[in-house]
Amino acid sequence: MGYRLGIDIGGTFTDFAMVNDDDGDLTLEKLLTTPADPSIAVLEGFRKLLDDKGIQASQVHSVIHGSTLVTNAVIERKGAAAAALITEGFSDVFDIALERRYDLYDLRLRLPDPIIPRSLRAEVSERMREDGSAIRPPDLNEVEREVSALIDCYGIRALAVCFLHSFTNPEHEQTVANFVRRRFPQLYVSASSEVLPFMREYERWNTTAINTFVGPLVDAYLSRIEAGLAKLGFSGLFHIVTSSAGAVTAQVARQFPVRMLESGPAAGVLMAAHIGRRIGMPSLLSFDMGGTTAKGSIVRNGRPHKKYEIEVARVHEFKTGSGLPVKIPVVDMIEIGAGGGGIAELDDRGLLRVGPRSAGADPGPACYGRGGKQATLTDANLSLGYYDSKSFLGGRMALDKAAGEDAIARGIGKPLNLTLERAAWGIHETINEDVARAFRVHASEIGFDYRRCSMLAFGGSGPAHAMRIARKLRIPKVVFPIGVGVMSAIGMLVSPLSFQVARTNRVFLDQINSEQFGKFFGSLQEEVSKVLLEAGLSEASTTVHRSLDMRYEGQGFEIEVPLPDAKDVTELFAQLPQLYADAYKEIFSLSFIDEPIEILNWKIEAIGPLPRIRDRCLSRGSQTSPEPRGRRRAYFPESGFIDCPVYDRYTFEPGFTVQGPALIEERESTCVLGHNDRARLDNYGNLIAEPGTSA
Amino acid sequence: MSMGKNLDAVSLGILWDRLISVTNEIVQTLVRTSFSSIARENYDLSCVLFDAKGRSIAQGTMSVPVFIGTAPQTMRHMLNAIPPDQLEPGDVILTNDIWMGTGHLWDLNVMRPAFRNGRIVGYALSISHLPDIGGRGFSAINLDMYEEGLQIPICKVIKAGKLNTELIELIRMNVRVSEQVIGDLMANITATEVGCRHMLEFMDEYGLDSLEPLADTIIQQSESAMRRAIADMPDGIYRNKIQVEAFDEPVTLACAIHIKGNRLLVDFEGTGPSLPSAINVPMCYTRAMAAYSIKALVLPHVPNNAGSVTPIEVKAPHGCILDAQPPSATGARFMIGHFVTPLVFGALAKAIPDKVQADPGMTCILNVIGKNPRGKEFATLYFSAGGFGALKGLDGLSATPAPSNMMVMPTETWEVLTGIRIVSRRLRADSGGPGQYRGGLGQEIVLQNDTGHPLTVFAMGARTDYPALGVCGGQPGATRSYRLNGQMIHPKGRYQLKAGDQIEILEAGGGGYGPAERRKPAQIAADIRLGFVTREAAIRDYGYRDSI
Repeated sequence: MGYRLGIDIGGTFTDFAMVNDDDGDLTLEKLLTTPADPSIAVLEGFRKLLDDKGIQASQVHSVIHGSTLVTNAVIERKGAAAAALITEGFSDVFDIALERRYDLYDLRLRLPDPIIPRSLRAEVSERMREDGSAIRPPDLNEVEREVSALIDCYGIRALAVCFLHSFTNPEHEQTVANFVRRRFPQLYVSASSEVLPFMREYERWNTTAINTFVGPLVDAYLSRIEAGLAKLGFSGLFHIVTSSAGAVTAQVARQFPVRMLESGPAAGVLMAAHIGRRIGMPSLLSFDMGGTTAKGSIVRNGRPHKKYEIEVARVHEFKTGSGLPVKIPVVDMIEIGAGGGGIAELDDRGLLRVGPRSAGADPGPACYGRGGKQATLTDANLSLGYYDSKSFLGGRMALDKAAGEDAIARGIGKPLNLTLERAAWGIHETINEDVARAFRVHASEIGFDYRRCSMLAFGGSGPAHAMRIARKLRIPKVVFPIGVGVMSAIGMLVSPLSFQVARTNRVFLDQINSEQFGKFFGSLQEEVSKVLLEAGLSEASTTVHRSLDMRYEGQGFEIEVPLPDAKDVTELFAQLPQLYADAYKEIFSLSFIDEPIEILNWKIEAIGPLPRIRDRCLSRGSQTSPEPRGRRRAYFPESGFIDCPVYDRYTFEPGFTVQGPALIEERESTCVLGHNDRARLDNYGNLIAEPGTSA
Repeated sequence: MSMGKNLDAVSLGILWDRLISVTNEIVQTLVRTSFSSIARENYDLSCVLFDAKGRSIAQGTMSVPVFIGTAPQTMRHMLNAIPPDQLEPGDVILTNDIWMGTGHLWDLNVMRPAFRNGRIVGYALSISHLPDIGGRGFSAINLDMYEEGLQIPICKVIKAGKLNTELIELIRMNVRVSEQVIGDLMANITATEVGCRHMLEFMDEYGLDSLEPLADTIIQQSESAMRRAIADMPDGIYRNKIQVEAFDEPVTLACAIHIKGNRLLVDFEGTGPSLPSAINVPMCYTRAMAAYSIKALVLPHVPNNAGSVTPIEVKAPHGCILDAQPPSATGARFMIGHFVTPLVFGALAKAIPDKVQADPGMTCILNVIGKNPRGKEFATLYFSAGGFGALKGLDGLSATPAPSNMMVMPTETWEVLTGIRIVSRRLRADSGGPGQYRGGLGQEIVLQNDTGHPLTVFAMGARTDYPALGVCGGQPGATRSYRLNGQMIHPKGRYQLKAGDQIEILEAGGGGYGPAERRKPAQIAADIRLGFVTREAAIRDYGYRDSI
């Protein structure tokens, strides 16, 4: 036993969460991120925690780390000089991209530049047929010439090998990649069939390009941290959290650095899932709202919903299609351009819109008094009385309520002929609707009935909006966990070792038998198990989840069908038509289709044992009487402004119940309970609220 | 600002956005359940919600532009043919009528009334492009509409919940790839069901007895936004005339755009007559493309509904190629109809030079019918885009579809589906129109019949004689051409490819914006470095002098 440490590097802060395995004692820490070399803050925070707790680095048996390094490197284009070898005739695929306009009406739309510029792409005269048979094998002399030229002319340090149909037969890619690795050992090399063997060349190659672009960077970064940790005397396990919220060894992270995209928010969702399981709410909506964005995820039966696509470096931050598509296993997150800094303005219809433009931290909302002139969500929440100008961020920042209200009246109230309170409420409620709508659409896309589940709300702005959103979605319970500001770092503590592989292999159900079915899954299972075995886990301690992307023959969009657990996977084969029909019906209601079913993508995930955090009530309450610490005027649409009690969450004891309307404050956020809402503190320190029926 | 009773700007915004989101959800259902690769990959589909009066109030945001304008008219025709008092719960109406639908037989229009307490409160309409509709196949060379395929009049495909199996069998017997066609029909039926369900939930949730007050406000709000945008343009009559290649002789397209105060009329006077080939454009399509063009220029982000198109009046001489009459063939109507956009942009270049876009290279479509190496038959389309037109301050994007948003299938998906080899796909250097802002590049694509079977190919390409023009002093992009085994071929023919035959497509570039001599030397140098412009062309077209 000993300590485990989760470290999450975000844009502004580096968060730390350390748990003592013996008694569940949790220590949290926040330091400013050191952008020039993020490892500085990581090592400094580690040292500080050791000092504060008076323990030795050797008592910490594992460090689990997540970072925005990869995301930032792609956005800021600060990766290695990377080149690509591409099937002859196709090097322009990176420029041609999807040949789609993501906005039909915006003639001025733009797209991000390709990760690997045209001059750094060389073609190789090889070709594979769609069935995986070779038309022409690669000529290694040509490969050697091309790579030498790229090294000589451009000083490349990394190379992507991108051939057509390599998801069906990786042989050409493997031959070339292995040859280059032997011949040019100084290069970081990835082949598209290794990174993720999915059909659709642009997405697969782009993913591979990003993998190579960040590979050398991640390698150097991890080495710095490993060396720094060793110097402090740490000799335990060092794991990296991935986009799918699983942990991998540093070695695997070096091989697949692209899988580190958005790992911080993913870990936050994992924490939400963990809390949900612990308190008997295995299906929930995870709702995280901060300063610039809101993120939503669906947790089904204790597991975050995952997908295999994410977009990075969008030109228009919230327009799908304006970024670079990446195929990796990720926690499925909807992102809404709405946070505390979201600017309220009039759209082309002359109606109220909040976000996606954000006032950010500087100048920030008008009430920050730093020169922001436009009304933001935070200004509205302050005007409605949900925030207090003195106790905001634990009193670290005094707010100028008059400046905020002035901005609301000028920007929204006057042009729309609304009173100040109606304008402020409009801004607040518009965000509630935006979030509720995004959840609805997302839930219907994946066939999830949110009306029987709970919501878990965190982030700086989430708790002020959650109850209203829950009412709109008819969600019966909302959980406000502790530590809303460092959920990702805590999430890393519960992140199990895991690895996913997905492969496109298009077959019709009536063309294979259960043996072939089992064999293909068997080979995938070997791949994932190998990664976990190398990380020191035993076969017996890992769980395997399988799913298939299936569709009716000729249909364009496949449905992911999770397969039930089975000792012998061949037994599942006979159930496939029924499993598919059930999944189809759940999403699209029944249809009249009587068509052959095909399997497109085969997915498998191996998960190690879930790390445990010992249960412990963390509220450090000293007061026994449930007295409000004060009262202030706050707005509720059913009653207008009323004198509303304000509570200090840190004084709550388990079992204590609050009846809305009420405001429950903690350092980084305020939970707003409306009329007829009720909340109760559970034994783990979570505040569990039930929305009242709408008045 | 005037709003409906009890509906201020906050409530209106919330309700309106929610309705649009409902239509997007239905579009997703349709995309995901569609068999036709055209429908799903290219969003050649749409879903629209109507109020009880049959006025369109919300439409899915992703879809090709044509449906913005045609859906409300289709709805009106449906209600004229089958009035509301003849509709009962569980009814679903269907048609692919050219003149009442979207302008060609391949688009299926499926409509369902939403009943609440025994009363119709609204309608959901879904439209998608079918993989086949019988006849001689989707092409430009059919002579009249009877050659084009099966015409389905407005009729009930489901009556009170009971499927009209005779109709389904009739369709099945008349089309190729019938399982996919019927699959798509069913997908549309499901989409309207989802649409009506959501509409009723929406009304329950917000306690609405009727959609009409909300519809009034939405329509009025959109209309006045569009009128304001029109009023912002200087009054005047703006004319343009272009030549477009048809089969033997070019067709003339002309327009005069009359702007007076907040009224706008697009009059296609001077446009040439219809032709005995399938490139004629019914008025419903012309109107839709004109409305799209104006909207994209002056008010791109106001949602589509009856109000956003009402202020745009459109007329054309009866029987001209932009107001074709039965029994004209219209299958490849887009080949002429898509030119409405550059025609309108060109006319308005004098009125709003900062907003207009140079002509795009547009999209090439090959209709291919054959069998894949496993012997399975297919009938599908191969799209490939030319360059986008340049705008003030912005080079045209390369290989970008316009004005419609038809998405190209990935090479791997295409080869798996058809077994037709794509030998290469490259950007075409020097194809972008020179200008201060350069037009987008076209592509060079080589296809080879590796299916092991004969392959029928219908080519449907424009910009082969008349390039994408530049605006405000910009120059035209390169023209499009086709070669079969190295020989130039007619861009609108039908070809039989033997095993191993190769078709080469040279895609057109987009037009440039502004005089080429004003282009910054650094931008020219960057183009040369990336190979988008060759050194020779830079010297010739831009007067470029490098420092070597």
